[in-house]
Amino acid sequence: MVIAFLRTVILYLLIIAGIRLMGKRQVGELEPSELVLALIIADLAAVPMQDFGIPLLTGIIPILTLLCITMALSVLTMKNVKFRAIVCGRPSIIVENGTLHQREMQKNRFTVDELMEELRMKGITDLSTVKYAILETNGRLSVLPYANQLPVTAEQMNVTPEDVGLPVVVINDGRVIERNLHTRGLDRNWLDKQLAQHKLKQPSDVFLLTVDEQNRVYFVAKEAVG
Amino acid sequence: MKRLWIAAAILAALFCATLLNSWYLRGFTRELTGLLEQAEALAEAGDWERADLLTRSAFEHWSSRDGYLHVTLRHSDTDLIHVGFQEVLEFIECQEGGEYSAANARLAAQIQLIYESEQLTLKNVF
Repeated sequence: MVIAFLRTVILYLLIIAGIRLMGKRQVGELEPSELVLALIIADLAAVPMQDFGIPLLTGIIPILTLLCITMALSVLTMKNVKFRAIVCGRPSIIVENGTLHQREMQKNRFTVDELMEELRMKGITDLSTVKYAILETNGRLSVLPYANQLPVTAEQMNVTPEDVGLPVVVINDGRVIERNLHTRGLDRNWLDKQLAQHKLKQPSDVFLLTVDEQNRVYFVAKEAVG
Repeated sequence: MKRLWIAAAILAALFCATLLNSWYLRGFTRELTGLLEQAEALAEAGDWERADLLTRSAFEHWSSRDGYLHVTLRHSDTDLIHVGFQEVLEFIECQEGGEYSAANARLAAQIQLIYESEQLTLKNVF
């Protein structure tokens, strides 16, 4: 049992170190410690679950150990900036004032192809328009274009557009969501009128119906099957 | 910070419990192997009756911790030792000197190995 405990501690820390060395782009959306936990825990639970010859404790002790270490690491990363940098890493500036930082790219095993792909996904094709591109600790690339490349906002144009608020779904694939209907202060009579306006008899003929805070309706009828 | 202390306390408790388990196993296995060695010495001196009594008391001691052993050890290991005791008792009954010695030594080694696999050493950790 003590061997299982110590092995779990050693393997967990080793895999975290490994994931950190692999660079941020391998991490995806999870922090390294969360990724390691996700990688190990399922396997630990599966082994004693399938093999009845192994005591359940050999699964429970490593899982408890992992959860406690993760809990301790998460508290320490919240409290201590230096510790957070060790466990989660620091954001890396890949592009600064339109200039590529090749050493940072090498350090994070981040290729030019991957950078261009990320930029294209954000609608940017010209690297010189990028003020900063930062590889975050969760592996995502944040791109900040130069101020003159940013879209003009309504405020900058001195325009005050109407704020429609968040539309809520009232009919989802033929099903009426009563709670959302009442949230907007509407009832079945209103819904029946809407259906009648679109020459439909029942909600099951509607694919999607949303209502915003101005009670404006977005309506999609179900397509005929066949 | 409270969560950190809770996590640290659980980790410390787990570590202590596993160390305690290792320490208990050492005493338990030493007791059993001691009884088996005494039984073998008696059998070699021709006192099969007392050898039988000592081996049976070792077996009873083993069986009395059946629940604990089943929860903490691999079931294949505990089954092997259970079968080993039956085998040794049969050889005592038949008073087969050579066969008994071999089976008894094997059983003692298997019991010893249980503790050795739980012993906190670098060899076991790695």
